[in-house]
Amino acid sequence: MRQFFPVEDLARDERFVQTNMAERLADTRTARPERVPKSKSRAASAKLTPDRREASDAARGLMHGIMTGEIQALEGAGRTAHDFAAGDGTNDTIPFELKLDMARQAWDEARHVEISAKLSDWMGTELGEFAENTVLFSAACSDDPVLRLAGVNRALEGLAIDVFTQMKEFGDLAGDPFLEFCEDWMLADEVTHVKMGSDWLRKVTANDPDRRAKALEFQRVVDKLFSFGGLRGDSDESPIALARRFRELAGFSDDEVEVISEMDRDALEERKAQVQLAQEAAGLQPEPV
Amino acid sequence: MPEATTSPAPSTVRPPFTPWDRRDLPGMFDVNETARRVGNYKWTEMKLFEALGGWIATVPELDVKMRLGTHCYHHAWHAELWEKRLPELREMKTERLTVPANEAMERFISAMTEPEAPELTIEKLVGVYRVLIPRSIAAYTYHRNNTSEITDAPTIRSINFILQDEFDDWRDGEMMLQSLISTPDEIRRAAAHQQRLEAIMVEAGGITGPGSIGHGGNTESDSASTESAGGSTESEGDT
Repeated sequence: MRQFFPVEDLARDERFVQTNMAERLADTRTARPERVPKSKSRAASAKLTPDRREASDAARGLMHGIMTGEIQALEGAGRTAHDFAAGDGTNDTIPFELKLDMARQAWDEARHVEISAKLSDWMGTELGEFAENTVLFSAACSDDPVLRLAGVNRALEGLAIDVFTQMKEFGDLAGDPFLEFCEDWMLADEVTHVKMGSDWLRKVTANDPDRRAKALEFQRVVDKLFSFGGLRGDSDESPIALARRFRELAGFSDDEVEVISEMDRDALEERKAQVQLAQEAAGLQPEPV
Repeated sequence: MPEATTSPAPSTVRPPFTPWDRRDLPGMFDVNETARRVGNYKWTEMKLFEALGGWIATVPELDVKMRLGTHCYHHAWHAELWEKRLPELREMKTERLTVPANEAMERFISAMTEPEAPELTIEKLVGVYRVLIPRSIAAYTYHRNNTSEITDAPTIRSINFILQDEFDDWRDGEMMLQSLISTPDEIRRAAAHQQRLEAIMVEAGGITGPGSIGHGGNTESDSASTESAGGSTESEGDT
């Protein structure tokens, strides 16, 4: 078995169709129209709520995305347990206890795949019904384990905290106790994984500020990728809220949360400006909500 | 406080071992031999959890993928138990004893982890669930049944937890294999791979080398120390 495993070789059965971030961003069908909020009502918000017209399909799509993300998180944790020998954290080694944590994470992610597969079935979704974005495993392919911790455990598992908080709320509003119950359990695990990433990042780079800076820069790149179009943020116009409290529990400092929030705001403004330009070019007025 | 009565208090004198406690003092392994075996166990469990973790991304079968993730953690936990046990056996530099039993055992792990292609799930599972885990169960059982039940109780406790996992995981793996093997060619592939790996394992003598289950190596010493029951625990290992 090779030491490092490329994202292109991820093994899937024939039901799955894979895509990547570049393809998704280049797909004009995924652009959301600019909306002019009429009031402070729930309908004026972009949050996923059961009363939205497209709520059912959006929730099913999100749950399927969660499941494929969990599959890749399982694969990524397994690879990190495998790819690096036990050592002091230098020269392509990672501490033995970090390997154990990655194995533990693999078990947690395996349970999350089980949970999200059952929830998807419960919501009427078939495996492979939606495309699988392989961005998470891509972040787990770095040959520096610290970059994997920053990109996967802190940025992407951090996003999972935001998404699970949103889905838990959706389950509550929709009166779906199964969904709320399961999301709550998965949220507890994700907070653990993010904290694991925060703690190991600090420990392994304690005497190597350059390596730490490089890892945090990589985390910002991944975070920015998921701020695209203001998908996640504090604004009502972002479908996924930034779960500040749980991020704090997971080891994010207030400053770090602020940086992500700011990045999300910038991304939202950037998208609005782009949509406005496109609408003007097409001679259209902003679509009322 | 109740008033003192005139009748004498009932005696609290009891023997140190209750009639139902039949544990024996003598055991087959001294501290050094126990540490050596525990170091081999840790090395093997580490190699196993690394392999299972690495394979997750390489198998297309979703149910197998998830089981490998679960089992990966089981073996990591076993490695952790042994890592903690080593200093209690006077080995402070745990990495010194975290080694394969011999060169053949190292070769076995290399051969077992060789399959990577997505169409080789049968070979991956055969190596783990039809060769390595049965061998691990055998070595752990031999250790548990032959070590001192009193002086080495912490090792026995760990082995009991580990054996529970091993049996459960072996059953999972065997059932996955039975559900994957359905054609003559798949039967042949499974058997051929098992035969190849088993041959290396026989050469290794088991996961702790010759004497993993008492046969091979120093068997006379084994029986001599068992018979020297009077309570001495300073018996030789069976290496």
